Amino acid sequence: MLKIEKLSVSYGSVRALIEVDLEVRGDGALHGVIGPNGAGKSTLLDAVCGRRRPTAGTVRYRDEDITRRTVAWRRRQGMARSFQRTSVFQDLTVYEQLHLVAQHLGDERLDDVIEVMDLADYLDQKAGRIAYGVQRRVDVALALIGRPHLLLMDEPGAGLSAAETLRLFEHLRDLVRERKIAAVVVEHDVDAVFACCGTVTVLDLGRHLATGTPQEIRADHRVVAAYLGTAA
Amino acid sequence: MNDRTTTAESPRAAAIGAFGGQSSRMPLTIVAVAIVFVVGAVAPTRFAGDFVLRLANEGLLLGMLALSVAFLMSQAGLVALGAASVYGGAGLLFAIAMSQWDLTPMSAVCASFLIIVVYATVLGALIVRTNPLAFMMLTLAAGEMISHGVMLEGLRDYTGGADGLVVNFKGSILGMEAADFANPARFWLVAWVAAWLAGLALWTVGRSRLGAILRAVRENEERMRFSGFDTYLPRLIAYVLVNVVAAVSGLLHVLNAGFVSPESLGLSVSTNALVAALMGGIAGSVGPILGGLIFSFAQDEFGARGLTQLLTGIAIVLFIVVFPRGVVGGLWSVVQLQARALSGRRETS
Repeated sequence: MLKIEKLSVSYGSVRALIEVDLEVRGDGALHGVIGPNGAGKSTLLDAVCGRRRPTAGTVRYRDEDITRRTVAWRRRQGMARSFQRTSVFQDLTVYEQLHLVAQHLGDERLDDVIEVMDLADYLDQKAGRIAYGVQRRVDVALALIGRPHLLLMDEPGAGLSAAETLRLFEHLRDLVRERKIAAVVVEHDVDAVFACCGTVTVLDLGRHLATGTPQEIRADHRVVAAYLGTAA
Repeated sequence: MNDRTTTAESPRAAAIGAFGGQSSRMPLTIVAVAIVFVVGAVAPTRFAGDFVLRLANEGLLLGMLALSVAFLMSQAGLVALGAASVYGGAGLLFAIAMSQWDLTPMSAVCASFLIIVVYATVLGALIVRTNPLAFMMLTLAAGEMISHGVMLEGLRDYTGGADGLVVNFKGSILGMEAADFANPARFWLVAWVAAWLAGLALWTVGRSRLGAILRAVRENEERMRFSGFDTYLPRLIAYVLVNVVAAVSGLLHVLNAGFVSPESLGLSVSTNALVAALMGGIAGSVGPILGGLIFSFAQDEFGARGLTQLLTGIAIVLFIVVFPRGVVGGLWSVVQLQARALSGRRETS
């Protein structure tokens, strides 16, 4: 589904990503990405979704090189992104914004997204007036519209409690499994990642450190030394 | 499932602005609007003198220009400071087409429109992708380049330079001759209809899918791109549309005045349009047009005492700080408050 080869991103003299390789299959499992602050996790998602142009390397999506494609094109091709900082339309009601996007992407099953993200009670409220946790769900719901093939989620649990984060991850895991799509989730909550992700990639200082099952990652001494030793 | 569908449908009815439960008030609204239109078209010509009608005509045309500015502000979050260059430029092109190119009046109108549309498309293509502040400065720059460009000595034979250009109007446009356009009462009807058509057109666009997309882009452009929307083309379309409205008002102005002055392309006219929009209220179509009328009469009153700049300054402060929704927005808030109070009293009784 997604193949990243030797991907590098620099901000001036700062090398945020250094020749990262990653492969994500569309087998209905969550692929978690973890790492300490500054590891390049969000930059990785930015480069994949087109928000940031890589300085080197390629991004292949469904066997096509999309490295130079626009954000909007990628979205229309089924690559959806949610944001670390909630990005919704504050002055529109929850329903208005979901409907606007659904209409544009030709998704006639908006009710499914509303049900999955448990937003039925908030449809007629303006997004700027609902609780932060609900805004996060709206943010994720906007990414789910159009039945994307690949979900890129940047800290979907940011600002939520550990229990809420775990619940959200379980929702996502079930959704991804049911729809047999690919999902890459960047998250600081390591417990939620290990509980719900089938594969985990660890980044450190812009470089790929390790990829494996949660058990393999937990046992990897390099990962423990660089990250899990402090995160545990 | 039924509850969810019902839950989804009732906010949908509200979301797309359907009158829904207010459908019984629709015919009344249409009748009221029709009455206002007819009374507004006829009453001033019967009861107002030529001087008042001239001021009112200027007010309507300024209101249309203000409408173009207000639409871009409210829908796209963009402030255009070069509106006068299109307003005056359309009139100047018409005058040049009549005197230099020997076109018929109708052909001259069409040629002016075509040139304005091309100009707006090319300029818009370059500037709508910038941030709002840069957009504002670029429209200012473009407007100033044009307003000073027409004063160049090398173009004097075409533009008249600082002396302006008399419109050599022979023939007719839509059955109206030069004398008809110059007659205050007859021109009032033309300007009134044009203002309503422009207001209705932009109101319709505002309520359309294009309007919804523009407002969503204004609010969160990045999210719109990440939702698969092209955020560039809608703003370009809006920019061209508002320049067409500005061109209409400019053409009507030159048909009425019979003369194009270089001041009509200047920053002061752009500023007046902006102030008029703020005065009336930038949301909707009624506010800017009403704002144009208010500004025109107030400017005459203040101008007679040499206090035009003072009027402009006071108006800007008042309508940004104290009355941010303008006259129409403020009145609407009062009406809504009264309606809520009345319905609250009915419920308790």
